Amino acid sequence: MGMRTNVLRAAAALAVATLGLAGCGGTSSDAAAPAPAPSATAAASALTIKDPWVKAGPAGEMTAAFGTLVNDTDADITITSAESPASPLELHEMTMKDGKMVMQPKEGGFVVKAKGDHELAPGGDHLMLMKPAKAIEPGDELTFTLKLADGNTVPFTAIAKPFAGAGESYDPGHMAPMESAAP
Amino acid sequence: MRLVSPLARGARLRPLSSGPAAPPHAAGVRRFLVAAVAFVAVLAVASPAWAHAQLVAATPSQDATLTASPATVELTFSEDLNPEFVTVALSNATRQRLPTSTPSVAGPTATVTPGGPLVDGVYTVAYRVVSADGHTVQGSYDFTVGTPAQPVAAARASTPSGLPWFVLAGLGVLGLALAGAAAYFYAFGRRKRP
Amino acid sequence: MTSRRHLLTGAAAAGLGAAAGGGLVAAARSDTPTSVAAVESLTTGTSTVPFYGPRQAGVAEDPPAHAAFVAFTLPAGTDRRALGRMMRLLSDDAGRLTQGVPALGDTDATLAPLPSRLTVTFGFGTGLYRAAGLESPVADLPKFKIDRLEQRWSGGDLLLQICADDPLTVAHTQRMLIKDARPFAAVRWVQQGFRRSPGVQAPEHTQRNVMGQLDGTANPRGAEIDPAVWNDDGSTTLVVRRMRAEIEKWDILSVADKENAVGRRLDSGAPLSGTQEHDEPDFTKLDASGLPAMPDFSHVTRARVTDPSLKLLRRPYNYDGVPNAAGQPDSGLIFASYQKDVARQFIPIQQRLADKDVLNEWITPIGSAVFAIPPGCTDAGWIGDQVLG
Repeated sequence: MGMRTNVLRAAAALAVATLGLAGCGGTSSDAAAPAPAPSATAAASALTIKDPWVKAGPAGEMTAAFGTLVNDTDADITITSAESPASPLELHEMTMKDGKMVMQPKEGGFVVKAKGDHELAPGGDHLMLMKPAKAIEPGDELTFTLKLADGNTVPFTAIAKPFAGAGESYDPGHMAPMESAAP
Repeated sequence: MRLVSPLARGARLRPLSSGPAAPPHAAGVRRFLVAAVAFVAVLAVASPAWAHAQLVAATPSQDATLTASPATVELTFSEDLNPEFVTVALSNATRQRLPTSTPSVAGPTATVTPGGPLVDGVYTVAYRVVSADGHTVQGSYDFTVGTPAQPVAAARASTPSGLPWFVLAGLGVLGLALAGAAAYFYAFGRRKRP
Repeated sequence: MTSRRHLLTGAAAAGLGAAAGGGLVAAARSDTPTSVAAVESLTTGTSTVPFYGPRQAGVAEDPPAHAAFVAFTLPAGTDRRALGRMMRLLSDDAGRLTQGVPALGDTDATLAPLPSRLTVTFGFGTGLYRAAGLESPVADLPKFKIDRLEQRWSGGDLLLQICADDPLTVAHTQRMLIKDARPFAAVRWVQQGFRRSPGVQAPEHTQRNVMGQLDGTANPRGAEIDPAVWNDDGSTTLVVRRMRAEIEKWDILSVADKENAVGRRLDSGAPLSGTQEHDEPDFTKLDASGLPAMPDFSHVTRARVTDPSLKLLRRPYNYDGVPNAAGQPDSGLIFASYQKDVARQFIPIQQRLADKDVLNEWITPIGSAVFAIPPGCTDAGWIGDQVLG
């Protein structure tokens, strides 16, 4: 397997967008890197989640799922709720409250703008796993379903990672602080 | 008349005995001393200052003319040999390597047995050993079986190093003088030791 | 074909828009890739080596300039499921980072975009197979009389060989992978090494090691690699030996002594029986003085293999640690050798060298480890899935 010199896939993807080429495999033959691709099914609304992952943690302890929501359509898409066999879920946001960053349920859900994206990341909006039934071990794969305001659902699978970054403090009036993921 | 030192006989003039810290000039002087001493007598005792293994005795000896094929070739060095790193190559006048036993090593002595009787002619014994400090020491000399057509020296007027015989002869004379000096310093050095 | 882990399908999507969105997101986050791409000559940083494929990367490619060999120890009680989770996670990280894409949850995503031919190669030690309840395709090496092995450089259940043409890329990759491996395994040792920087010499040049020797002249090249290295299933094996260079002793030698020890000219790398680096050594040739031109006990003489299927693919890296207070260097070679079969190819050569190789005076093996290199994987799988899955 020989070395291949190419521009960064980000730049390649950007070029695809700029040139208006259809499909995403043209300039980047690399199938490995994460990139949005056409879904097998076509529907009125199109939402994908890129690079989803879950912070690993012990049973019963809150943890969170992250990724980038990408709206491919010309209309805003609202995610109203999410489900997973692993845990009850809430849509959460981080916000300033009394000079402190706290997290709280996102009123009205996550809105992904038309042709836009919405990042779920440590320290920002995220899917909160309120009480995992079992420990979420690093390397586990968890399934999720996003429910949209238009009634559609978006299933996805996320890998669990050990993560101790983005120390967050939580609204004490609302819930207990989140622990770091234990191995 | 040829120097027995490997310095004059190597394929290239290799600084076989260059010491660790000796500046070029000192190393050069030392090389001359080594050559001179070897030339004069093949001294049985090497000075501790010349720490690398030196060939001190050989059978057949340098330039010997034998009436019959030698049963063995035996080389004795100034220090015990590491048996893993001893090469003794026997070749004929056309530089064909002749079969021998692998060297058997006992202390400072390496012995090989030719694979068969040597017919009349000029032969070269070449050796390569490794001193205790890791320096490679190598050299070669000739001997004759039977009556060769010509003296060895005349048969090959110049050495592989490209020096004509008269230069070597001159070096030999110089070597004699230096050997005297060496002997003096050697004795002087010994006297100074407690 | 994209992996379900890398891309999760929505209810529907049209390719262009999704690509544009993703591209813009990545571009906004990355280290000004457009400006780098604009300068065409600056390709070292953006060069990539595919991660997914039937064989693992990081073996047959020309070795990048920097490497970290990271060995792990599995805790007692590790089972096959845990190994699968670990390898799924680490393969995902490697699949991304090698393409210049941040790992999931990458806490310093800005360090990902210049992969510089990054490869991550995974090796499994005997302990990993034991933990998985499987028979190991490799065994520990026998003890050689020249060995002075130190525990801190030896053994290991899992190995990551991380190579790139840039040391910051190696550092970031090492950090990300260790972060994701540590729930499963403890770091046992890390050996970091280097070769010449990209652009210093043409890639096909044989490189010098810290002892000034051209190292790897006899390596199989091009089509010669396959019969020596790859099994039909895409697997191979790796031996990592840490060879301390006894530099102070080596320094004492004259050039001629060094050449006799190696069997090659120091300047050209030519065998002492020849004139060019790639001349075949002639072990029967006598020099003008009647000595074999190739010393019987030189490294080249002892290591020589002519059967192409018995050759080793050497992928060595130099190391140069911190000198001691007396100014004596801590230098040597991370000898990394790929071959189909350790017992058939590596051990006979190592045994010959251990028995009789004058170079042993100046190199001391202080670390040793053996790993099976499992086949590569598809982007839907992970390294080791055929073994552990």
